[in-house]
Amino acid sequence: MNKTKKLVLLSLFISQALVLSIIESWIPFPMVVPGVKLGLANIITLIVIIFFNFKEALIVVIIRTMLSSIFGGGGFVVFLFSCAGGVLSTIVMAGLYKIKNNFFSIVGISVAGAAAHNTGQVLVAALLMKDIVVITLLPVILTLGSAMGVLVGIISTFLTDRLKNILENI
Amino acid sequence: MFKKGDIIIYTAILAIILVSSIGVYYYRFDDKNDKKVAIIKQDNVVIEKVFIDDLNELKEIKLFGNDDVIIHAQNGRIRFYKSDCPDKVCVESGWISKKGEMAVCLPYRIIIKIEGTGDELNTGDEVDIITH
Repeated sequence: MNKTKKLVLLSLFISQALVLSIIESWIPFPMVVPGVKLGLANIITLIVIIFFNFKEALIVVIIRTMLSSIFGGGGFVVFLFSCAGGVLSTIVMAGLYKIKNNFFSIVGISVAGAAAHNTGQVLVAALLMKDIVVITLLPVILTLGSAMGVLVGIISTFLTDRLKNILENI
Repeated sequence: MFKKGDIIIYTAILAIILVSSIGVYYYRFDDKNDKKVAIIKQDNVVIEKVFIDDLNELKEIKLFGNDDVIIHAQNGRIRFYKSDCPDKVCVESGWISKKGEMAVCLPYRIIIKIEGTGDELNTGDEVDIITH
């Protein structure tokens, strides 16, 4: 794949991730803990890890969180918050994906990524709020987040199968 | 969709959830004192303490002296009534009333948390977490 094609594809992935993160902000789910989102944009992160590499995935995540906090109007604090979670989950997912012989399934990797994402966000929230009590949200958020990780993993598995034919012929 | 290695991931996450749940359980229920105090903090500075149990009438707190952030407290409950922050997560949190519960406004870095009055000695302005 040459540079231009790669650039176009990654830009497409960034815009798709952005659309997913905007769409999920419309879905009021689950109301148990306000602010918890589906994490649909993680589908794109996982796909970029699979078809490209860690570096590309990191770029996609950072640009996506930057743009979504501009469009969502969250400002710098919210950007830091979502970027930290995104970067941490990208590191974990790329690391697990690198382990050879497909030791982990895409669903397993996605769940681990979701868990890393949520743990990172809770820790950053505790740091930003300067109050350790925020950490007590971890069990609930981790449970919900892992369930979402399964969903994201299943979607990514199907998407990987479909994209294989398209991307390998480019 | 499932490989052997996944068991490691699922077990690890389950272990973390279990251990942290036990921790949170002890944090929330260690105090037998029923009196509750709601602590409103911004940037780890206590702005106001509200003894919500004794409130029969609605208490309105305007945090910055204007209408940007308004907190309501009544009958043992407290909530972000209004906030002009972009994500509104704090308002969506609704009423909180139990010890250990919290509502958080990330953009403004405001937190309302409910503690038992038994803990009150530990809830002053001192630094709970070191960030520098």
